[in-house]
Amino acid sequence: MAGTPAAGSRWRFLGRRALQALPTILVIVTVNFFLLRLAPGDPASVMAGEAGAATPEYMAQLRAQFGLDRPLALQYLTYVRNVLTLDLGYSFRYQESNLSLILGRMSATLLLMGASVLISVGLGTLLGLVAALRRNRIEAALILLATVLAYASPIFWLGLMFIVVFAIQLGWVPTSGMTTAGGPGGGIAYALDVLHHLVLPAVTLSLFYMALYTRLMRASVLENLRMNYVVTARAKGVPPRRLVLRHVLRNAVLPIVTMAGVQIGGALGGSVVVESVFGWPGLGQLAFEALFSRDLNLLMGILTLSSVVVILANLLVDLVHSIIDPRVALA
Amino acid sequence: MLRRQLLGSLPLLGIGAGGLAYPVASRAQGSRGNTLVVVTTPEPTVLTNAINSAPSVAEVATKIYDGLLEYDMQMQPQPSLAEAWETSGDGKSVTFRLRRGVTWHDGRPFTSADVAFSLLEVVKKFHPRGPGNLGPLEAVDTPDEHTAILRLAHPYPPMMKGLSSLESPIVAKHLYEGTDIRNNAANNRPVGTGPFKFAEWNRGASIVLEKNANYWRPGRPYLDRLIFRFINDPATRAAALESGEVDVAFFGTITPAEMRRLAGLPSIEIAQGGYEALAPMMLLELNTKKKPLDDKRVRQALAYAIDRKFIADNIWYGFGKPAVGPISSVYSGSGLYTDQVLRFDVPDRVARANALLDEAGYKRGSGGIRFELTQDVGPYGDDYRRMGEYMRQAYNRIGVRLNLRTVDQATYVRRVYTDYDFDMTSGWYVGMGDPTLGVQRQYVTSNIRQGIPFNNVAQYSDPENDRLWAQAAVETDPGKRTELFHAIQRKLVEDSPIIWIMEMDLVALQNKRVKNLITTGLGVRGGLYETRLEG
Repeated sequence: MAGTPAAGSRWRFLGRRALQALPTILVIVTVNFFLLRLAPGDPASVMAGEAGAATPEYMAQLRAQFGLDRPLALQYLTYVRNVLTLDLGYSFRYQESNLSLILGRMSATLLLMGASVLISVGLGTLLGLVAALRRNRIEAALILLATVLAYASPIFWLGLMFIVVFAIQLGWVPTSGMTTAGGPGGGIAYALDVLHHLVLPAVTLSLFYMALYTRLMRASVLENLRMNYVVTARAKGVPPRRLVLRHVLRNAVLPIVTMAGVQIGGALGGSVVVESVFGWPGLGQLAFEALFSRDLNLLMGILTLSSVVVILANLLVDLVHSIIDPRVALA
Repeated sequence: MLRRQLLGSLPLLGIGAGGLAYPVASRAQGSRGNTLVVVTTPEPTVLTNAINSAPSVAEVATKIYDGLLEYDMQMQPQPSLAEAWETSGDGKSVTFRLRRGVTWHDGRPFTSADVAFSLLEVVKKFHPRGPGNLGPLEAVDTPDEHTAILRLAHPYPPMMKGLSSLESPIVAKHLYEGTDIRNNAANNRPVGTGPFKFAEWNRGASIVLEKNANYWRPGRPYLDRLIFRFINDPATRAAALESGEVDVAFFGTITPAEMRRLAGLPSIEIAQGGYEALAPMMLLELNTKKKPLDDKRVRQALAYAIDRKFIADNIWYGFGKPAVGPISSVYSGSGLYTDQVLRFDVPDRVARANALLDEAGYKRGSGGIRFELTQDVGPYGDDYRRMGEYMRQAYNRIGVRLNLRTVDQATYVRRVYTDYDFDMTSGWYVGMGDPTLGVQRQYVTSNIRQGIPFNNVAQYSDPENDRLWAQAAVETDPGKRTELFHAIQRKLVEDSPIIWIMEMDLVALQNKRVKNLITTGLGVRGGLYETRLEG
């Protein structure tokens, strides 16, 4: 594709988008820094609180160690300079480099996120298509009923119910975690073990968006079926199967792709709950713990890196969009 | 609110599955071998309890490190790294004969130099309770590699209760000497002399410890591996225990209501005991500098108004017993406890409370209300909120309107301990092996330290009380020491700067195939070298 005029404009379009991302990240870093400083309490008091005992020397040691005794403006400037050099600093709490803490958890979150996006987009598109084509039949009614249930149930409740049914009563899958404690350390056995643990959290996390996609897809397919190009295609004798797969599907799927960008952006928030319920060692849990322990350095590191991931994911969505619908890149 | 109702439906579903529960449990354990899996919360921040006394840090680190001593269920000292010990006639020096042939997990020999360095340079300086446990310790003489003589500024009997792996773990001098102790890499890759060696830490998921094949107790530990798992959600932790993925759940990981349900399952039981070394006490701290709580009669009335037995049985599902004063009955073994104090559990307690408030001049106003108070609910879980809701009703009966305030831990610590912006606050404290070590901090004038959590936040100050505590700390005659502590209890209950609610039973839940989980007063905060798995 590269080299053709259409592809050239596509890369220019993506490059422009990428440039716009830089100031966005700077704004995010600044807002995060000052917003988080508004929270009452500091990590030293939380650590002393957890210890159940403290002396003035202990508190002063902790504050000096964390650099909390320096002026706020200085802390901010240091932080921005560090972020620009990709240095996310040290975690107050874990006494480890934030970057290594975050990267250690990032893969777990990306795995969960990727699996749930695949499940929800795949199944959502399929079910939406079926619901549209089988309009006024029992299949469509059942699909719509299922989407209402999936859409309306609180995600943590669904997760717990899945644990009760599939892990405790049926024993098909483990209740929680990403690997079996003391289980296989590598190879195929390890991959299968992770997959076994991934099923429940990924399905739980995907249900909400799957319901959304199903409804979106159904509406979009129904709308497209009424379009002039469909009438034209029918008139020139395109077989129904080819009409749906080649013409309608490609047009109808556009809103889903847009929505998938939103899902990826929101996945971190949703995964806090799911990671918590399923003991999944991902970024969401790390962020949650960092917030409650006022480990602000770590929290800012997570937010900054997550915003980079979200921006990258949106670039990817733009790319996919421009492939499916070349008009987007030219606009 | 919604969440609690929804979780409430879990037990019902569990009952339906009762017939299936047992086979499920054994299915999950099949391939694990001789490995004990424990769930605790929160995930530790470091793995060396010499510099951090948070409960979950100690739960892991006490398997890796040893102390000089251990304690039996009556809190009497037992040999550990020290084989024998002797206190001098004047009480100012204690000689420890150290075990020979002990090695660190890295193969280096353990010597008296490690003891001297650990106590003076690490525990006394960095452990939050170090200054209390080792207060008058001035020097440690090491005449040879297997003798350590602790030199004290004055006699200090409580020290002999603070030398366990929980309070004074012995760390390796060759790894810590000349380093920045708080940022030493060994804090997260611990090297000890204990029954288990550190293997790996999968952040956010688990910590794996492996059997120390060279452990100095022959044939111990029984377990090949010990794995700590971290799961954020209490309902999932309960599910993991029920499904058999987890063998032991420490207290605080599962709500009391769920604990009762799980303990009724055929595969799970309560592991009794194991909190004697902590002497945990649930209580309500009052701001004695603030009106109307500056009046002793008001504080007594508030103490009379609540039914401790009701709280223990209904809020905490029987995991505890009503308290009568500042010193827990687990100290009965050493005779320090007495129940011969002003008793608030009398039949006419509500009438007495009303009479005291009338006498103090707080008449009932419009709506029968005398005054309003705010309770800052301790940030340790929903059950503290429920306890607050009970108290609101109980205080209504004596014309006191109670408002509840719930915030996260960081905000709470700031508000209560730094800003003193509170009337009363619920929480729990550990008394440790001796009242001087853990109880004293809440009552003596010298411990009114604004900004430092878990001190005398009630700001209670009384010269007579201060004098009694000072004497008790240095008194070497057991009979006289007992007298002093009985006097302290009578005095404090009379003044009621704090309302003592319940002596907590910090029990663990275990799968029935786990044997010998609790063998010392340290309980699950001990080495677990006697713990076995059956079947």
